[in-house]
Amino acid sequence: MADYETVKHLHQTLPAFAPAVPVSLLPSLASILLITTFGLAFYFTTLSKDTFPAREIGVALTASALGGLGVVALFCTVGVYV
Amino acid sequence: MRWSVLSLALSGITTNVLAINLFENTAIVRTIEPAGALVHVTTTYAVKVLVENANSYIFALSEDEASKTSKMHVSLKGQSVQLGIKEHGVQDGIARYTTYLPEGMAINATTNVVVERVLTRAARPWPTQASQEEDQFMKYDGELFVLSPYPTNTQRTKVRAPSSRIARYNTPEDVSFQTDSIVTKSGATITYGPFTSIPISANAGFISKHQRPISVQYHYEHAVVEVNNLVRTAEISHWGANLNVENNLVLHNGGPELKGHFSRVKHQMQMYMGQLRSHVLPAVSLNLPPGARDAYFVDLNGNVSTSRFRPVPSVPKSQSARQSSYLELRPRFPLMGGWNYSHTVGWDQPLADVAAYDPTNGTYIVAVPLLTPIATSVVNDLTFKVIMPEGATDVEVFAPYKPLSVEHSTHISYLDTVGRPAVTLEYKYLTDSHTDSVYVKYKLPVVSHFQKPRAVASAFFVLFSLVFVTRRMDFSIRKA
Repeated sequence: MADYETVKHLHQTLPAFAPAVPVSLLPSLASILLITTFGLAFYFTTLSKDTFPAREIGVALTASALGGLGVVALFCTVGVYV
Repeated sequence: MRWSVLSLALSGITTNVLAINLFENTAIVRTIEPAGALVHVTTTYAVKVLVENANSYIFALSEDEASKTSKMHVSLKGQSVQLGIKEHGVQDGIARYTTYLPEGMAINATTNVVVERVLTRAARPWPTQASQEEDQFMKYDGELFVLSPYPTNTQRTKVRAPSSRIARYNTPEDVSFQTDSIVTKSGATITYGPFTSIPISANAGFISKHQRPISVQYHYEHAVVEVNNLVRTAEISHWGANLNVENNLVLHNGGPELKGHFSRVKHQMQMYMGQLRSHVLPAVSLNLPPGARDAYFVDLNGNVSTSRFRPVPSVPKSQSARQSSYLELRPRFPLMGGWNYSHTVGWDQPLADVAAYDPTNGTYIVAVPLLTPIATSVVNDLTFKVIMPEGATDVEVFAPYKPLSVEHSTHISYLDTVGRPAVTLEYKYLTDSHTDSVYVKYKLPVVSHFQKPRAVASAFFVLFSLVFVTRRMDFSIRKA
């Protein structure tokens, strides 16, 4: 169990926090990801109905993943730091 | 017979042991600086060592003073290093504290122990009501003698009012231990004493027989600012690399209550002529940390546009901040005596300025100052909450001052599934110097870091599955 002074010293000497994605990139990343998600969703609606829907599931999965990251980046861009 | 003789002898020995003092106060000087919401008291004990190597010096306060003391700092004169203090609680209406002096002092060695205290709730407006045109006077009520468990050769109390405009001060009657005059006034300072040859005073007998009240009524040139209830929330975001600090507070003017009604015309005239009385509070200013951006000032009606924000560029974590951002807030109406104004102030800060990362065990340490104070104000009630990112584990909190309670909870906000861990600390009666940082330590695994994108992605996938199913459903009307 560290005490207050130890934690204070650790805080001063350890390296500073660095985000996974630089904050300045987040707006452009948000627009790219969301436009791609829209495009993939559009493509999803044009796909034929196969018995084994490999293509549909694949497109849905990529579009969802990109959409998830895009929405989080969008929230951070507008100032709601989630 | 033999037993009674033995017990008598034993009690004689024990009383002799108790009667030996480890120290003696050659002089005690107490300087009281009353202001508005806060009163600063500096007591200097000139201590003489009577027993070799004694180093546990006990000082005492009356129960009333101890309950009003919000901050205590003990050091040797001329040094700023804080000596350790051990509290012994209240007994017979007296609170005792032990402080540890440097070791190895010889007999008859002298040293000066300085006890600096900040009191809250010690000065009050007097008269309790004032109209828009009258001045503001405050009254400080205290005690004449400084209590001590050791005998004192000479002692003196000085009350230094903030201005030389002192309306009234009392002359205590029937005072023992006096030399020539009991009370003298020179400029803004009123001196009670000196008093000589005071015996051990930290007991109820001395208080009932010799202790006398003192009171000084003085003019106070600034508004008395009190924050009745402050809820301070710090939210940490890793995706946005951001720390959001939000204060929800009820601002209270602790000066004399407004007598009569508030006349806007009189107020405007006073503002124009520069003759605004000191109990009117038109604006407050805050010093925000460097790197603060997107500051907001809202109340229940919405955004309050009467504010001025001068940000200062961000400073990396390793450097100490030399400048602070300046935020001046002007409430919708000037606060007259006894009025309240509840509002919310908040800002964003880059997380890199306040957070450290330990790559060996994936631990993050974030520092959040306990208060962003309004100068000379007192905070009567503080609820301090730190919200960590979703999925944080091993949460530990290190507070600079002992809180009344620590609580761990879950906070639910935007795009949350399981909720974010939060820590809440409770404090009472804080001063404007309680600004040290609270350190929060937690671990965030990489998997938890992607909790939010996963949650949104699953929502999108549910939509896609719905479309997948409905595409294969036929709603056309067929021929029978």
